Parts: sequence; C-alpha cells; structure tokens
Amino acid sequence: MTGAQILFLVCAGLILGSAVMVVTARNLMHAAFWLIAALFGVAVVYAILQAGFMAMIQVVIYIGAIAIMFIFADMLTRRDVRESRAQIGRNWPVAVLLGLLILAGLTALILAQPGVGRVAPALPSGLDPVAALGKALVSPDAYVLPFEVASVLLLSALVGAVYLAFLKKQ
Amino acid sequence: MIPLTYYLVLSAILFTMGALGVLIRRNALVIFMSVELMLNAANLAFVAFARQYNAFSGQLFVFFVMTVAAAEVAVGLALIVAIFRVKHNIDVDQMSSLKG
Amino acid sequence: MTPSDLLSILPLLVLVVWACALLLVDLWLKRKGVTAFLAALGLALTAGLALAQAGEETTAFGGMVALDGFASFLNVLFPLSGLLGIAVAYGYLKRMNIERGEYYSLLLFSTAGMMLMAHAADLVVVFLALEFLSLPLYVLAAFARPRLDSEEAGLKYFLLGAFASAFVIYGIALIYGATGTTSLSGIVAAIEAGSLGTSGLLLTIGAALFLVGFGFKVAAVPFHMWTPDVYHGAPTPVTAFMAVGAKAAGFAALLRVFVTAFPALDADLTPVVWVLAALTMFVGNVVAIAQTNIKRMLAYSSIAHAGYILMAFVAFGNPATRADAVASALFYLVTYALTSYGAWAAVIALEKQDPSAGSGQAASGLEINDFAGLGRRRPALAAAMTVFMLSLTGMPPTLGLVGKFYLFRTVIEAGQVWLAVIGVLTSLISAYYYLRVVVVMYMREGAPETTREPWLDFTWAVSALATVILSFLPMALFAWASAAGVMGF
Repeated sequence: MTGAQILFLVCAGLILGSAVMVVTARNLMHAAFWLIAALFGVAVVYAILQAGFMAMIQVVIYIGAIAIMFIFADMLTRRDVRESRAQIGRNWPVAVLLGLLILAGLTALILAQPGVGRVAPALPSGLDPVAALGKALVSPDAYVLPFEVASVLLLSALVGAVYLAFLKKQ
Repeated sequence: MIPLTYYLVLSAILFTMGALGVLIRRNALVIFMSVELMLNAANLAFVAFARQYNAFSGQLFVFFVMTVAAAEVAVGLALIVAIFRVKHNIDVDQMSSLKG
Repeated sequence: MTPSDLLSILPLLVLVVWACALLLVDLWLKRKGVTAFLAALGLALTAGLALAQAGEETTAFGGMVALDGFASFLNVLFPLSGLLGIAVAYGYLKRMNIERGEYYSLLLFSTAGMMLMAHAADLVVVFLALEFLSLPLYVLAAFARPRLDSEEAGLKYFLLGAFASAFVIYGIALIYGATGTTSLSGIVAAIEAGSLGTSGLLLTIGAALFLVGFGFKVAAVPFHMWTPDVYHGAPTPVTAFMAVGAKAAGFAALLRVFVTAFPALDADLTPVVWVLAALTMFVGNVVAIAQTNIKRMLAYSSIAHAGYILMAFVAFGNPATRADAVASALFYLVTYALTSYGAWAAVIALEKQDPSAGSGQAASGLEINDFAGLGRRRPALAAAMTVFMLSLTGMPPTLGLVGKFYLFRTVIEAGQVWLAVIGVLTSLISAYYYLRVVVVMYMREGAPETTREPWLDFTWAVSALATVILSFLPMALFAWASAAGVMGF
C-alpha cells in the first residue's frame, strides 16, 4: 500500500464518518463542525486527484464561506437546549430503505463499469492547470458565458438575501 | 495509485448519506447541510472523472457548483433566520400554517 | 467573442442589463408604479427582440448556447408570462402592503434564467439557468414576509429545490463520466460513436437522476409533495408566475436535453416516463377533488397538467411522432400558461386581507365557497372564470380542448393508446372539481367582495378572450409551434 492509498483511505473514513455525524448529530453546532471535517476531507481527496486549485477553493469557499455561514445561522437560530425534541422524523425507516436502494444501485452501477478499475493516466508535463482553468473561464469559446451568468446569479441571490434579512424600521 | 472506482464508490455513499439526511431530519439547517453533502458527492465524482479524462471541463463544472452553492447558502440561510425570527422554530414538520 | 455571439442572445442580454439597471433606478423612485412600468417595458422590449429572432438558427459562445425555433418560441413565451406576472401583482402588492421594488427586479432575473434555459446547449448552462431562475423564485415565494405562511412556502420551495438540484448535478456528473463532456452535441457524438459500451448504463442512470431532479421542478408525481404547500403559501401573483414560468422552464430543459441528447435512451426511459405521466395525471386530478381551498385546488391542477405535458415525452419515444411531440408540448404549454394565468388572476380578484387579523396575517377569500354569488355580483369575472375552468378541463369552446386534442392525438399516433385513455379518463375526473367552481359561482347565494384593479381586470379579460378566440383559430399558433423544432447538432 502506498502513501497515497493510505491517505485516501484515511480521508474516505473521515468524510464518511463526518457525514454520518452531520446527519445524526443532535446538537446543531456539532453538525456544523462535522460538516467542516467532511468538507476538509473532500478537499484532501481533490489534492490526491491532483486538482490543487479545486482543493484550494474547496477550503476557501466551502469551509471559509459556506460552513462559516452555517455556524452563524446556527447561532442565530439557537433555542433552549432542554426544549430540543427528537431530531428524526417519523418516516425514517422508509427513508433508510430508499437510501440503501439508491446506494446499492449506484454501487452496482459503478462496479459494473469496465473502465473504472483503471488508474488515471499521468498528467501531461509542462501543463499549468491553474492557467488552463483561468483561460477557459474567460475564453469566449469556452466558459465566459457561464462565468458571467454565475456573476449575475450571485447578484440576484445577494439582492434576495438582503430583502429577506432587511428589518423594517418602524 | 488509486483506481477511479474507489472515488466513485466514496461519492455514491456520500450522496446517499446526504439524501438520507434530507429525508429523515426535521431541522431545516441540518437538511440544508445534508444537501451540501450531496453537492460535494457530485463534485467529487466530477473531479474524479475529470482526472480520468485528463480534461478540465469537469473541474470547471465543480467551480460553478461551488459558486451556486454559495448563492444558495445566502438565500437559504436568510430564509431560515427570517422564519426563526417569527416563530422561534425551524423544524420543517412543524410548519403548520401550511397543512392540508 | 464575435458580435454575432452577442447578437444571438440579444434579448437575454437586454433583459439582464435592464434588470441590473432597474435595481439601481428603483433606489431613486418613490412611486413603485414607475418601477413596475419600467420592468414591464423591459419585458415587452425583450419579447419583441425575441420575436424578431424567429427563424434564425445558430450556436454561439463555442456551443454553450443555441438559437433555434425552440429557443425563440419560448423566449417570447417567458417575457410575456413575466408581463402578466407584473400585471397581476401591481395592485396586489399595494393591497397587501408589500409593495417593494425588488419584486420587479427579481422577477426580471428569474425570467432571464428561464430564457437562458431555452437557449442552453450545454449542461453547464442548463444547471446555471436552473439556479438562475430558481433563486429569485425562492425569494419571491417568501416575498410577503414577515407573513409566516409566505416565509414557510419560501423555505419549503428552497429546500426541495436545492434537493432537486443536487439530483440534477449528480445526474450530470454521471453523464459526464459516461461521455467525457457536458456539451449536448458532444454527448450526441459520444452516443452515436457507439464507444460507450457498458458506460451506456452510466448514461442512462445519469439521465434518470436528471429526470428526477426536473421531476421536482415541474411537480411530477411522486416528486410533487411541495407543490400544494408552496403554491398555497406564496403570494398569489408569485404562485401564478411560478406555476406558469418555472414549470415551462423545467419542461424547456427536459425537452431540449431529451430531444438533442437522449433520443438513444428512449427505449430505457420511455416506460419510466409513461408511469410518471400516468401517475401524475391520476394523483393530481384525484387529490384535487378533495380540496376546498382554491389555491390548493389549482396547485393540484397544475400537477395534473404537468402529467399531460409529460405524455408528450412518451410520444417522443416513437421516431414517427417526434416532431409532433415537441410541437404539441409547446402548444400545450401556451394553452396552460394562458388559462392558468387567467384563473390565478380571478383568484387574486377575490383575495383580501382579513381586516380583523392585522397586517401580519394570512389572506382570506381563498375558499372555493367564497366564489358563491360571483355570477350575480361580477358577471364578467364569473364568465371569464367559467372559461378558464372549461379550458383547464379541456371542453369547448376553449383553447384547452385544442391543446388536449392535439396532445392526445400525438400520443395515439405514437402507439400509446392506453396512456391517451388514462389522459381522457383523468380529464373526465377533473371536470368534477373544475365545474364545481362554476356551480358555486352561479348556483349558490353569496356576496363575495372583489377587487377592481385595471391591470388585473385586463389580465383575466385578455386571457379569457384569447382562450376562446384562439380555439377557433388555432392554426397560427399551431404553425408557429410546429416550426419551433429543436435544431439538430
């Protein structure tokens, strides 16, 4: 077993363990912290996949912005702890059954792929992935339109969020 | 090195867990966190496939998913906090003003 | 980026720029009526520009977007539905004390997302358009804050929407894994090259997850649970816009993706869609019978109509009826948009804020029984509502009959007689609850309080007239829908 394989297994364990904790934790704050652990594990897996830029923005955007927002929302919606009731809805057996079905289906599907047992080919040398990504994002023949749409989308989300959060002064 | 299968199985399990979380939890915040897990599962599959094809298109898709996730978080958490301000409770199965 | 790239999405560009400018201009406008007027002007301009694009066929931005008959058809439909969304909202927002300029900017943004969806030729754009149209809608559903039912509608819509998006993204990931590309033309090329082998299964499952995600968006059974609650809780003009625009955009994405990229998957997906369509028609119509609230009844009616449109996808599985399937779906979308907007406008005319409950409380006047006596009090409005109910059922002399006839004929020609039979039977069931509204309006005594607002009256009057007149002259619309084929790549 090589170092990368051990690292992958550790990360996979971290991701799945944290995911279980997110889904089952009673305390919302704990759930948010377990979410950060899971997100961090995913970032390391990106790094193992030689997607360094993705690993970085995973940390910056997902952990730095999104998870932190969750923590803020947790703090803003805190109730008396004693009041907390059962966290699981009544229909959980159905949901678990459904989940197992999805999982079995997806896993069987993936294992049936002939190509997936392969190890990924080596990256061509002399290629700067960050530069290539950056160029693709602003190239008119590639992703400039989605890029601009994403920016307008952020603007509309911002306007909406401000509208919802705005307290009328009365 | 690690075969693609491993990444995909990891992503499938993570996706299922997220979906389960959405279906069984009652707190809106935790449901939303579970959705984030599902998005991460999809991103993981994208990056793994992109590595397999040695192409950037998969990574670029992940970039857009993250952007959209950030926008969604802004709107979603604003909604959750706004509801909490009115009724001090964000359990989805207690949204009794809409029943029938 | 060549000028022709920009020209091909000119209506969309104009709308987005207009929406951004409106955000700024609104800050200086004291009278929100001016904002509404400016927003409507932008939408009218956009619709005009889209109309001028009819007949063009091209791709732009390196194959990210396509301009074809399909896109220009829908790009006229979406701004027009946005216009009606403003017409029904103008007086309502004032009356309910939620008149804010953001309504109009968000509505414009959402319409822009729908138009982008019609153009999409790459799954990246499909995904971004989906979010671009949905995010403003989540906020609009909660627009009557701090009214709790509206906020909860927003949150429910949001959580279900985010959940559905996750399915769409995972589906796209699997499709990407099978074909190595997200561009629709690339996917077609990969399928036709026949090199997929067992990756074809990956593609099928990816397409199925994609279908699940959009099943949520268009409110197909069994992914419909959110619909009645959200339609009920959201401010009624938003509900109308959502029921028409968001549903049409969801179907636009499904049509575009299925027509261009997945014809090869038909053998696998047609039975699934068959079951979805049958279930949706059946559940939507049967549950609607039990509703006493008009908004919930119309919500189930909108679920049922999603089922009728899904029938077109089954017809699409047969190569002989492929062109007719797309045309009949588009034709039915127009029919549904017109009728449904009219019906929602009538609901808005009766809705009022409970004077005893204070400004933070829910509205009243939304029970079906509140329509009692409308035939005597407002004969014109009652007549218009009768037209809408007949059209939703699919009875003469309305456009609904033409739309259903065309759809059922296409389905039968595709060899799916049983599905057409289910369609007809469920339409008969639906007659019960639609006609009940008519009976209540004319046969029962009552003194409903209604609102007279010029733009609202304009909306239901125009919708009713168009529903009747177009049913006698459907050929123009028919020809336009038939010409709106999706270009091949």
